[in-house]
Amino acid sequence: MTRPLLEVRDLNTHFFTDDGEVKAVRGVSFNVQPGETVGIVGESGCGKSVTAMSLLGLVQRPGRVVHGEIIFKGQDLLKLNKKELRNIRGRDIAMIFQDPLSSLNPVLRIGFQINEAMRAHNKIPRRDISRRGIDLLKQVRVPDAEHRIKDFPHQFSGGMRQRAMIAMGLSNKPDLLIADEPTTALDVTVQAQILELLRDLNEQTGAAIILITHNLGIVAGLCRRVLVMYAGEIVEQGPVEQIFDSPQHPYTWSLLRSVPRIDSDRQERLLSIEGLPPDLIDLPVGCKFNPRCPFRVERCFTEPPVIEEVAADQQAACWVTMKRAYEDMNAATIEDTSPGAASGVHPRGLRPEADPTAALAESPQ
Amino acid sequence: MAVVAAPRADQEFISSTVVREQASLWRDGLRRLRRNRLALVSAVYLILLAIVALVALVWTPYPTSAIGVAPIYSGPSGSHLLGADELGRDLLSRLMAGAQISLAVGLLSAAIVLGIGVVVGLTAGYFRGWVDGVISTVINIFYGIPALLVALLMVTVLGRSFTNVVIAISATVWMDVARLVRGQTLSLREREYVEAARASGARNLKILFGHILPNALGPIIVAVTFVIPSAILFEAFLSYLGVGIPPPTPTWGAIASEGVQALRLSPHILLFPSLALSLTLLAFNFLGDGLRDAFDPRQKR
Amino acid sequence: MLIYIGQRVLLIAFTVLVVSFVVFLGIHSLPGNTFVNERVRGASLALLLHEYGLDRPVLVQYWDFISHAVQGNFGVSLVNRGEPITPIVLRELSVSAELGGAALVITIGMGVLFGVIAALRQNTWVDYVLTTFAIIGYSVPSFVIASLFVLIFGIWLFDVTGGSFYYPLTWDGTYGTLIELSVPAVALGLFTSSLVARITRASMLDVIHQDYVRTARAKGLKNSVVVVRHALRNALIPVTSVLGPLIISIITGSVVIENIFGIPGLGKEFINSILSHDYNVTVAVFTMYALLVGVANLAVDLAYTVIDPRIRY
Repeated sequence: MTRPLLEVRDLNTHFFTDDGEVKAVRGVSFNVQPGETVGIVGESGCGKSVTAMSLLGLVQRPGRVVHGEIIFKGQDLLKLNKKELRNIRGRDIAMIFQDPLSSLNPVLRIGFQINEAMRAHNKIPRRDISRRGIDLLKQVRVPDAEHRIKDFPHQFSGGMRQRAMIAMGLSNKPDLLIADEPTTALDVTVQAQILELLRDLNEQTGAAIILITHNLGIVAGLCRRVLVMYAGEIVEQGPVEQIFDSPQHPYTWSLLRSVPRIDSDRQERLLSIEGLPPDLIDLPVGCKFNPRCPFRVERCFTEPPVIEEVAADQQAACWVTMKRAYEDMNAATIEDTSPGAASGVHPRGLRPEADPTAALAESPQ
Repeated sequence: MAVVAAPRADQEFISSTVVREQASLWRDGLRRLRRNRLALVSAVYLILLAIVALVALVWTPYPTSAIGVAPIYSGPSGSHLLGADELGRDLLSRLMAGAQISLAVGLLSAAIVLGIGVVVGLTAGYFRGWVDGVISTVINIFYGIPALLVALLMVTVLGRSFTNVVIAISATVWMDVARLVRGQTLSLREREYVEAARASGARNLKILFGHILPNALGPIIVAVTFVIPSAILFEAFLSYLGVGIPPPTPTWGAIASEGVQALRLSPHILLFPSLALSLTLLAFNFLGDGLRDAFDPRQKR
Repeated sequence: MLIYIGQRVLLIAFTVLVVSFVVFLGIHSLPGNTFVNERVRGASLALLLHEYGLDRPVLVQYWDFISHAVQGNFGVSLVNRGEPITPIVLRELSVSAELGGAALVITIGMGVLFGVIAALRQNTWVDYVLTTFAIIGYSVPSFVIASLFVLIFGIWLFDVTGGSFYYPLTWDGTYGTLIELSVPAVALGLFTSSLVARITRASMLDVIHQDYVRTARAKGLKNSVVVVRHALRNALIPVTSVLGPLIISIITGSVVIENIFGIPGLGKEFINSILSHDYNVTVAVFTMYALLVGVANLAVDLAYTVIDPRIRY
């Protein structure tokens, strides 16, 4: 068994704001093998982006990694000094971001920005760098690369900008590429092209990819393994097909059910998950999903579940698991997915839960 | 200029997961303003100044034009708290009266500039087309002329008086507000509620004053708050150069101008009006800053 | 681009014409005339007026003025009989330009530097001190500061400076040494440099949180590179946009500063001509100013395209 490229152990990142301590990432642990494609999936605000930023030490004030280890090729990144970390950034681990228009410097040429990434980590003569820049643009399938390399970001289309960012990320042949919602700001057709590009690059260069997204379809298209995050924790992880086939955590299950499917029965209603994610300053006791979970039991209110193996190579953090939900709670034919509907368990004299409807009434106008 | 960025990981994080009671913009802004100590101190100072100015309307320690009530050039003393000037007039009384002038000039100019600026800006921004073209050209022409010189010339040609000074000042600063209002109008007119209002048959005037103006109010108020110190500074400059409000009216700039002549003998004649001017301008600027920080919808962090 | 420059030049020309016309009319509508103080009356007065063409209709006089002005001839002074104005104005222009230029360098140099430092050390004591200084800088009237400088450097430190800050009314050769120029330049530039510092700070704070700065950091670039090449370059865009009004501020401020320090520049000439009723000079100076402002504005707008390549005319 080869040593993992990246081992994240018990990562905790908190934000110390005026309103309180926001516990954005709590106890996240996962591995990435060399050349693997891993997806991190979750709603907005579940901590997936913060996790990625923590890997590269890009978390700004008032946020800070408060605990954990990030072992990359044998080194704990959290123990490196600024200079050493800078060497890793852009060279061994590269990161590309969501909105390529705002993520590229508007006053510098594309070619300059790509070459800059190389110049920062290599001492190669300028002409060679320029040539490599053009080659990179060709590799990411930007037409007319020799001329377009001199353009400014605003002269590129959205899809091309994202390709340029990918070129920038790959310029130093990193072992790991982290892509934070790379297709969210793009049209659907362009999304498909970018994903295909990433897939091809993964095969050609052998760089591992961590893909962060809230879109399950994208994960299915690119990744081999997936981590599902909710409210700052990993609630389930495993191979993509397996998870899609039989998700064990109720949240994953709900997510999959809320995605419209071409092959579904037209009469089947689209189910959504009621409620909102919890307040990360003031978290509920026990399982963080319990205010919204249709299958919750008494234990869910008092003890936070531990992540455990629920099937071969698949882990979930749940006291119930879908297996039991199917067996005991008729999950297969469920109609009402409101909190506690299937298990019939509601908080009684326990810590009052955040009433989802009350939260909605107070939403900003 | 700055491109609008998609929410960053941590920003999006903090704003989407914290489900808190959302105060309205005004309540939130006032709360933030109250926390800004400099702005509060400034507001207190300005209120005191206003009180002094009002008091001066009916009473000052000595008549402001009374010559020889104190030995000329005398420094601060028991009976004359701030000393006397080169004609033996009590400086404190003159400064109190000067406060009236400064505040009056400042507020009046701001009011005029607000009126003109809003009307012009709304018209240009809402109707666009050739109307906007003409107005924008006029604004640009006004921008191309050095303000102080215009004011100088206006006062020289029209004669020295309070009214003329205010007119001259207003004529040279209205463009900033007009441009601001125009910009706000241009962007606000595309908003959905304007569409809705127009679709339901509202008349243009109503849209302008009922929908667009209230929403542009924030930056406008801030801009106008900065017009006041500009106007006061302007007036001080004019008085200092000897082309402001004619003597014996005691404006701070004029007193400072007299003070420069006697700098070696009696520095207090220059010092006190300069201090008054500086503190007042500082106060308005701090207050303006505070207002802008409090009501600017953009988050800082 | 060239079309744009052409349009702007036309606008400048138009503005200058309008301005000079208005000023001309305004001046000539004043009661009395230049020679009022000289106790000239009756026939001698009529002769003088005729000699200088002052008895003709205003529009004719204006046409005469402007047609000569475009050829570079501003006519003659009425107070210093017959002395051609143009060489005087040009000479004084160079003096004022030197002073203004120095002030501009201080404005941009000091302003940007302090603004950046304050932004990078946001909310520390460095930030508070710098910000407070900046606010004081644009709140205290420049004539106050200038007077204080004259007091300190010209009077109290007279022995040290040898009175170098009192300038002779005559002029010979180019103006002033760096030392002599520095004090009035600081007095002139303090106001605008404070504004620049404030704007730079605000702009930097805004830019530092932008996504492309995050990208630059993710590329592993050195912090100094991130700050200067990525952040500052973008932060300077709003600063450049106010450069036009700031230059105008410097120009108008120079009127006061030159007066206080006794520097024989355009500003001093302007005030003198108004006070001595030498209206030909007044009009000439004003026209020069209008031209100067127009050119400065155009230069700034062109500089804008260099700083922000998204702007194209």
